[in-house]
Amino acid sequence: MPYMLLIVEPQGQRRLRSPEEGRAVYEQMLAYSAGLKARGVLLESNSLRAESVRLDMRAGKRSVTDGPFTESKELIGGFFLLDCATREQALTFAAECPAAQWATIEVRELGPCYD
Amino acid sequence: MVSSVAMTATDTHRTIDALWRIESARLIAALARLVRDVGLAEELAQDALVTALEQWPRSGVPDNPGAWLMATAKHRAIDHLRRERMLTRKHEALGHELEMEQQLNGGKLEASADDEIGDDLLRLMFIACHPLLSTEARTALTLRLLAGLTTGEIARAFLVPEATIAQRIVRAKRTLSDAHVPFEIPRRGELAGRLSSVLEVIYLVFNEGYSATAGEDWMRPGLCEEALRIGRILAELAPREPEVHGLVALMEIQASRIRARIGPNGEPVLLMEQNRALWDRLLIHRGLLALARGETLGEARGPYLLQGAIAACHARAATAADTDWVYITALYDELARLTPSPVVELNRAVAVAMAYGPAAGLELADRLAAQGSLESYHLLPSVRGDLLARLGRYEEAGVEFERAATLTHNARESRLLLDRAAACRRGGS
Repeated sequence: MPYMLLIVEPQGQRRLRSPEEGRAVYEQMLAYSAGLKARGVLLESNSLRAESVRLDMRAGKRSVTDGPFTESKELIGGFFLLDCATREQALTFAAECPAAQWATIEVRELGPCYD
Repeated sequence: MVSSVAMTATDTHRTIDALWRIESARLIAALARLVRDVGLAEELAQDALVTALEQWPRSGVPDNPGAWLMATAKHRAIDHLRRERMLTRKHEALGHELEMEQQLNGGKLEASADDEIGDDLLRLMFIACHPLLSTEARTALTLRLLAGLTTGEIARAFLVPEATIAQRIVRAKRTLSDAHVPFEIPRRGELAGRLSSVLEVIYLVFNEGYSATAGEDWMRPGLCEEALRIGRILAELAPREPEVHGLVALMEIQASRIRARIGPNGEPVLLMEQNRALWDRLLIHRGLLALARGETLGEARGPYLLQGAIAACHARAATAADTDWVYITALYDELARLTPSPVVELNRAVAVAMAYGPAAGLELADRLAAQGSLESYHLLPSVRGDLLARLGRYEEAGVEFERAATLTHNARESRLLLDRAAACRRGGS
């Protein structure tokens, strides 16, 4: 069963780190990722840049907004797509994630968007 | 959302279960290197698990539960070796103990280097799939030691009594122990043969999950997941082995179709009738990458890379009609030369029929039927039935489908075949 771990970071947290600190954090995440791979559960992972653009189409009208978005306090900073046997297993891997120390890990099972 | 503060005992047990599946192979592998006995290593790892089950519901799950289990298990191992030394005063045992004391005191307890654990895991795979053991024993031991399945889970997966699996595992461990099989990665000259023994077990587990040979369900995806997980680990540990990537490619691509292989009522849906929109693109992508990785390692393609390449042909075809059957036929030709077997020959007959027409395929299938080597294999009459139907010979086709239905032990498959037989009786499908 695939599970997505979404790293939900406080908006602006990245700017508080020096480049060295930023790289150190990134290294930790790479090591975590390698550990998942070594255990045969990692399907895909990546980090996301902070800058984003929002788009919606309403009544055929396209609207595009450039960030940062003052109303949002969080951003999705990265993701890990895991192949796990159970939800508990996904949670166990999430608990190991270094980012759980400074961000929040949202654990979601993949599946159709209707019930 | 503060409910997580107090984990209930049930939550803790679930966490421990999950953790066991994730960590047990690494625990057993690391312990096996210390105590030089896989059976003992597993018992020690189990002891650590029992300790966790006793303590964690009261004390809470520790911050680094994997390291906690490893430390606890290693302490058990030391206690065990001390007792052993008291009894036998073996120099060898003393040596191990010193080595372990050093590890414990040197702070290496928490994280042994990753490649060290990797090597231990690889050794564990080789020993669980040792040629001294029967294929059944290897399969059971692999699922037990590497996938962390319980005896009951393995028994349910293979629809055999739990006692049978338990006995198989006990005997396998005893065989390994009696033969003093060293806990090591095979030497160069031996490596190819030993590796193919590991690949065979993974392949068998996957296939049993993919097309269950017996029972009500036509697939048991849990087995596929375990096989894939072990295969992916192996690909990380032995990245220079083209056949490992070939097997992973094959499994990723086959697994990509799992959702499309069952209809709404649990009935099998065959490859050509599947809704390809349901195929998992991510798994296909991973499979194609693994295939490319294996193929660039050079050398002639082995049986797994060839099968991976065949699976990839289907994965690349946007519709069933787009399938490159001529290339698939060529791949089966190569496979048949490399590993001649009636089953490969039967698949080749199907490919030939698709590429060059049902009559050409039927000729090959008839030759197989005349040889009699696949007499009790349901897919031979099933394929012949299919080809006869496509040639408009419905009466003969119906007989073949009925025969196939009596030969399969899988209830779902049997129903599908009887439906096809009935359609033939009505004069076409």
